[in-house]
Amino acid sequence: MTRRGLLSELTDAALIGRFLGGDEPAFRELYLRHTPRLRMMVMRLLGAARRADLDDVVQETWLAACRGVHRYAGDAKFSSWLTTIGIRTTYSRFARTPDVESDLFDEIPAPVGAGLASVIDLERALSMLPDHQRVVVVLHDVEGYTHDEIARQLGIASGTAKATLSRARSALRRMLNDGVSHVG
Amino acid sequence: MSDEFEPHDVDARLPRLFSALPRESPPEPRALDDVITALKAEGFLRRRSPRFLWARQVAAAAALLALGGIAGARIASRNSLESMLTRTDLSLADRILLMQRAGSAYVRAANSYANAASRTDSTAIEVASRVLLGAAQAVARSKLDGGLTPSLTAALRSTAAEPPSAPRRRVIWF
Repeated sequence: MTRRGLLSELTDAALIGRFLGGDEPAFRELYLRHTPRLRMMVMRLLGAARRADLDDVVQETWLAACRGVHRYAGDAKFSSWLTTIGIRTTYSRFARTPDVESDLFDEIPAPVGAGLASVIDLERALSMLPDHQRVVVVLHDVEGYTHDEIARQLGIASGTAKATLSRARSALRRMLNDGVSHVG
Repeated sequence: MSDEFEPHDVDARLPRLFSALPRESPPEPRALDDVITALKAEGFLRRRSPRFLWARQVAAAAALLALGGIAGARIASRNSLESMLTRTDLSLADRILLMQRAGSAYVRAANSYANAASRTDSTAIEVASRVLLGAAQAVARSKLDGGLTPSLTAALRSTAAEPPSAPRRRVIWF
């Protein structure tokens, strides 16, 4: 069996232990295991206008995770812990640059299952939401976070998260009903 | 506008659309290398174990020493008198040089023997003379000296037969 094959059978905790010992292949396995999901979430949180920042944010997320990995207690899933860091890293990027608009969708992977056109329309509509609304709706409706979790992640009140989600969904409905391409 | 959406059913279809969104985006290989480079710069991933590096350096030095020794011994033995005598690919000029070397070596060996033993051993000169005599006879058998050897042999025989006289400097000339 190859080294990669052996590593792929190890748990996240075992890989982290090896990484802390300086084992590069263990880190590579950890990265390849968790980055696809992290990258998709960050891409969606950033929106099309900040797509150029995607790989920077993913890299910043991993570096922040590695710097603080000794604080990872192992009581939560590593993927959730990493996602939390990814959300904060992305959110801090919003603070650096104001809302920008764009209409780039070339990196969104093709969806499977549901009607292609409707999913792409939803992806487009999400990307056109203001940053604070897009983050809340992505975390709640795509990633499955509760309002309390979102409130903790973003440092806002739970009620604010609910109200923001309500406004975001209304905007989504409006865009999808009116035709996304005609909005903005 | 997409014809998949009608105003009345957007609310009902949103959850299904959300669940149909792709969840993964494969990273670019370069991105992983960038992260690895950054982590190494921060000292997270070991570059090379100093212990193994030290062991490798010692092994390399030992290998170089062994190779140097082998090469040196081979070069030295290749030009030794014994090695040259066994070679069959020498030119005539080389063979003349070889004879000169062998003769010089013989003279040095005989002088050394005489200096070391003659003052305490009265048979030293006789031994040296007999060795030289044997060499001269061997040369004579090869017919290489054009008649010089018989004269030299006679002279050496007479010298060997005479008792040692007053102390004198014992130098054997070749």
